[in-house]
Amino acid sequence: MTELTRRAALKGAIALGAAASLPLPARASGSLSAAIYPGTWDEAYRAIVAPQLKAKHGIDVAFDTLWAVDQVTKVRAARGVPPFDCFVLDPGPAAAARQAGLFDTIDASKLSNASKLPAGLIAPDAVTVNLQVVGICYNPKKIPNPPKTWAQLFESPFVERLGLTGFQTTFGTVSLVEMAKAFGGSATDIEPIFKKLKEVLPKVAAVSTPAALPGLFQQGQIDIMYTNTNNAATLKARGVDIAFIAPESGAITFSTTLHIVKGSENKDAAHKYIDTVIAADAQSKLQLSPYNMIPVNKDVKLSDNLDVKSLDEVAKMVTHDWNVINPQRAAWIERFNKEITK
Amino acid sequence: MSSAATGERMGVEWRLAAPLGLTYLAFFAAPLVILLVMSFSVDDNLGGFTIASWVKFWGDPFYRGVVWDTLRLGLVAVAVTTLFAYPIALLFVASSPGMQRLLLFIVLLPLLTSVVIRTFAWIVILSREGVLNQALLALGLTSVPLNLLQTELGLVIALTQIEMPLMLLPLITVMGQIDPSLSDASRALGSSRWRTFRKVIVPLSLPGWIAGATLVFASATTAFISQTVIGGARLVYLPTLIWQQAMVVYNWPFAAVASVTLLVAVLAGVSAFAMLGRFARTS
Repeated sequence: MTELTRRAALKGAIALGAAASLPLPARASGSLSAAIYPGTWDEAYRAIVAPQLKAKHGIDVAFDTLWAVDQVTKVRAARGVPPFDCFVLDPGPAAAARQAGLFDTIDASKLSNASKLPAGLIAPDAVTVNLQVVGICYNPKKIPNPPKTWAQLFESPFVERLGLTGFQTTFGTVSLVEMAKAFGGSATDIEPIFKKLKEVLPKVAAVSTPAALPGLFQQGQIDIMYTNTNNAATLKARGVDIAFIAPESGAITFSTTLHIVKGSENKDAAHKYIDTVIAADAQSKLQLSPYNMIPVNKDVKLSDNLDVKSLDEVAKMVTHDWNVINPQRAAWIERFNKEITK
Repeated sequence: MSSAATGERMGVEWRLAAPLGLTYLAFFAAPLVILLVMSFSVDDNLGGFTIASWVKFWGDPFYRGVVWDTLRLGLVAVAVTTLFAYPIALLFVASSPGMQRLLLFIVLLPLLTSVVIRTFAWIVILSREGVLNQALLALGLTSVPLNLLQTELGLVIALTQIEMPLMLLPLITVMGQIDPSLSDASRALGSSRWRTFRKVIVPLSLPGWIAGATLVFASATTAFISQTVIGGARLVYLPTLIWQQAMVVYNWPFAAVASVTLLVAVLAGVSAFAMLGRFARTS
């Protein structure tokens, strides 16, 4: 048996070496592979962006549906051979990806719509394509008088209907930071929110993974949650009783950004893809139900289905510095695991 | 059989198994080695050597608790599926061939839908306004809806249904092969039904149960989707922990430690079942 194993090991090593040296199949020119979030984003970009990109530039785009953290991990694991050409990320994962050197530079002069975006939305390695707004969502039929502050979420009768989620997502993290502030903490001192969470834990309706939250809301397991307007509008379009309210301290906003993956062989196509997404043509359609993405293009008039009225309103909302949050996030997640689990 | 013939047969078997064997070696054994090396690395570039991740994992009662919870979940799933599988298997053996086909279809039914769909279906059933709570409220058995989601009880209920075919299929296969005259003989010689079940059917069906228990245990301990969706964030099991550490926190060495631990723990459980089988045969 040892002989077999040794021979097998040798052949295995040869096979591995051979596999590594195989050239990757060359991609056809005029094609692009872009990561996209599952769900609404996937549907919206397939329905609106892909046909426009094909019509305007003759480029075929293939979408790889992945959450932000999964995109970053996949590119890190690929070690320099990018599995796709473009990221779509929230600030948290974007900061982590930037730190790991996963971004290529974006040449703003190649984007014909660059001047249509407000100042500051185009960085050397990132282009903001949509804004997300996070606040409190509730079922107006069961909660006629909704909570008006983050702190009220932890009071009766709201806490008994509240669905909690931890620091795994961007919206979860920023919401918990705001709650920490409501109880006297800050982005560097979230002790107060952990204290509060432990206190109300026996009462809350659910402590869930972020992906399961909309399902729990729809099924009536929870009637209050903190999430983005995009999720709320999607549920509403499916006939769920849901309303959005901005806490008195202000709704939270963060930007969704597109990036070119370092080592991409389709940089030109990637620029055209980004340019198509920020064009008024795409932005005005992406904001409609059921996609509900808050546009960034100055030429686009905001539609009524969005829970914000103007970009000026968004400019006054609460923002967070992810360079402060990211270094602490692993410890917060570990602490949430240990203290919130049974 | 002469030794030459044995040697020749071995040669043929080796060549036949080579394609799959080499594939396993390249795509299964090699990654496992990388995983093991990763667990002793300082960062995700496989640089340096440290046992820090191992010390952190095993030195912390929380993570030891996660390992124990994961294994216990597997054992509970095996126990509950066993409890439900034996009556169904007995019914199957006693049924007519037509009835057996119908039963087999019902047993296989859960396997025909995706595990994601089955798991979400359990949310609909177990939630506060779900089918189960509505029924309990209507029957007056409870005045407030029970909290079943996000509890270990809810998870075990869902896992039992999801893993049931894995226990039933080997069990009914083996029990179908038991000579019915053995039970008849036992009954004719004065044993009660219960004693016949205990002394004749259970020992003879043990190989099937061991195969089923092994499958259910390995499957329940690693059921990432059911554990996260039904269990929620308050129940942490090893698969969730691995996902979190690898994907969100980017602590790959620590995720590797958890992965190796899960692998060894599941293998230990599986070999325990195998040993049980050997012990049962010799005793």
